[in-house]
Amino acid sequence: MPECDVMKESMPLLLTESLDPVRRELTHQHIEGCAACTEEWLAYQETWSLLTDLPEVDVPARVKSAFLAQVMPQAERSNVLPFHRRPAFKWVAQAAAVVVIAGGGYLAGHRNAPSGSVLQPIAATNSANAGSFLPVSTAPTYSIAETRTLPARAISPNIEGRPDIENVNFIDTNPNDEEIGVSFDITSHVTVTGRPTDKSMVRLLRYVLENEDHMTPSRQRAIDWVRTTYSRPHNADPEIAEALANVLRNDTHEGVRIKAVDTLKTLPATASGDGDTYKALIEALKNDPNPSVRMKAVEALVNLARSGAVLSNETLDTLRQKASQGDENLYVRVKAAEALKNVHP
Amino acid sequence: MTTSDLRDQREMKHLSDQELMKIVQAGDFSPASEIYDRYSTRIYNFAFRFLRNSEAAEDATQEVFVKMLKHASQFNGDAKLSTWLFSITANWCRDYLRKADNKPKEGEDVLLHLPGSGEYSPERQLEQRENEQRIQKALAALTPDQREAILLSRYQGLSYAEIAQISGCSEGAVKTRVFRAMETMKKALTGESRGGNQCLNAMS
Repeated sequence: MPECDVMKESMPLLLTESLDPVRRELTHQHIEGCAACTEEWLAYQETWSLLTDLPEVDVPARVKSAFLAQVMPQAERSNVLPFHRRPAFKWVAQAAAVVVIAGGGYLAGHRNAPSGSVLQPIAATNSANAGSFLPVSTAPTYSIAETRTLPARAISPNIEGRPDIENVNFIDTNPNDEEIGVSFDITSHVTVTGRPTDKSMVRLLRYVLENEDHMTPSRQRAIDWVRTTYSRPHNADPEIAEALANVLRNDTHEGVRIKAVDTLKTLPATASGDGDTYKALIEALKNDPNPSVRMKAVEALVNLARSGAVLSNETLDTLRQKASQGDENLYVRVKAAEALKNVHP
Repeated sequence: MTTSDLRDQREMKHLSDQELMKIVQAGDFSPASEIYDRYSTRIYNFAFRFLRNSEAAEDATQEVFVKMLKHASQFNGDAKLSTWLFSITANWCRDYLRKADNKPKEGEDVLLHLPGSGEYSPERQLEQRENEQRIQKALAALTPDQREAILLSRYQGLSYAEIAQISGCSEGAVKTRVFRAMETMKKALTGESRGGNQCLNAMS
C-alpha cells in the first residue's frame, strides 16, 4: 500500500516526464504489475489527454494596438487594427461638452458662488473632455478642491457632455437601506449617493454603461452592479434597459455583450420601455457574431414573453428562421426551437 | 512605417529573446512588437484560462507587456524571457483575484470561442462543447495555486523548476500542487470509479 501511494504521487511526474530514469523505470514496472495502479495510471493519462480539448484562443488585435499606442505613441501603426468608435456613440461625442448639475459645480464651481445663478458657463478653463457642471438654481454649489459627496437629488439628470470620468466604483454601505452610491474621479474624487430610482443616479449609471472607451472601470463590473440593483421590480427603469440595449448593440467586447444580454434577462418586463429592448434583442439574435450572445438573446425574449409581453410577428419570424437555419450554430437553433415551443405552442 | 523600420522589424525576427531585451534595456522600445508577437498568445491564454474572463485577460496581456518594457532592467539574461513574462502575468492574475469582486464567475465566457458552424458536424460540436465545459468546470474547482501550476505545466509546457520560480515556491510545492490538481481533475473528468478508490480497495 505505501508503495502504491508513492507510485500514485509519481504518476503526474511521469506524465510531465519529470522523473529521473531510475524512478521512471521503477514506476513503470510497478504499474505493469499492479492492476489497481494500472487503472489509476490509465485514468491519469485519460485526464491529461482530455485537457488538450481546451482550444487555444487568439488574442484580439485591439490588445496589440492598445499596447503599441501606449508604449510607442509616436510610431506609425498602419499594421495594427485601429479601434473606431461605433456610430451609435457619435452623438455623445458630438454633443455639447456641457454637463448640467443642479446645485453641483464639480469642476470650477465655488461653494460661495452667488446664489440664484442660472445656467452660467463655468468651465472655460477646463479641457473639452472634462465636461462642465453648471449651477442652475439657488441650491448650494460645491468647489472641486477636495473629495466630496453629493446627493443625487441635488444634481440634474442631464449629462449633455462627455466628461472624462475614471476610477468608477459602486458603493452600498448599508444593504438594508435604499441608498446606493457611485464614486468617480473627474478632476477631484466625487461620490454621488441616492436612491437607485433618482433620475440623476439612473443617468449617471447609464453614462458609465455606455462609456465604452475607458479601460476603467470594468464595464462588466458596472453591469453586475446594475443587475443587482435594477432587477428589483421597485427599481425598474426603462433608461437602464435602454443603456444595456445600447451596450448589446455597440460594445466591441463579446464578454461585455454577454453580460448585457444576461442582465436584460433579469430586468422586470416593466423596464423594457418603448420596445427598444426587443429591437436590440432581435438585432442581437439576427446579427451578433457570438453564438452565446444569440442564445442568451433568445432566452431574454422568452423571459419577456413569460412576463406577459406579447412577442411581435417579427420576433416569432426571427425565431422560426433561426430554428431552421442550416448554417446557424446548433445550440442557437435548439434554443430558438425550444423558445417557439414555449412562447407559441 | 518607413522602409528602414520594416527592415528593422524583419531583422528582429532573427534575434534571440536575450538580444531583443538588451535593445530594450538600452532604452529602445522598437523590439516591443516582435516580443509581443512571440509571447502574447501564450500570455493571453494563460490569463484567460486562469481568470475565466476574456476582458481581464486582455487587460492582463496589455499590462504584462507594458511592465516588461518598464522594468526591463530587472530582467536577468540568464533566465528565459518566457519565465519572466509568466511571473509578471501570474502576479497580475493573483492580484486581480484578490480583489473581492473579481472572483471567476461560473460559466463566464465559456461559449466565447466555439468553432464556426461549418467547421465540425453538430455532433462533434456538441461533444467538443461538453468536453470544454467539463474541463472549464474542473479547472474552476482548483485552488488558484493548483490552477496556476496545472496551466503552466500542461498548457505552457514549463518545467517544475520554472513554475517554482514563477510561483515563488519550492519545486516540491509545485509537484504537490500538480498532483492535487490532477487528482481533482481526474475525479471530475473520468469519474470516481476510475483509479483512486479501486487502488485503495485493491491494496486493503
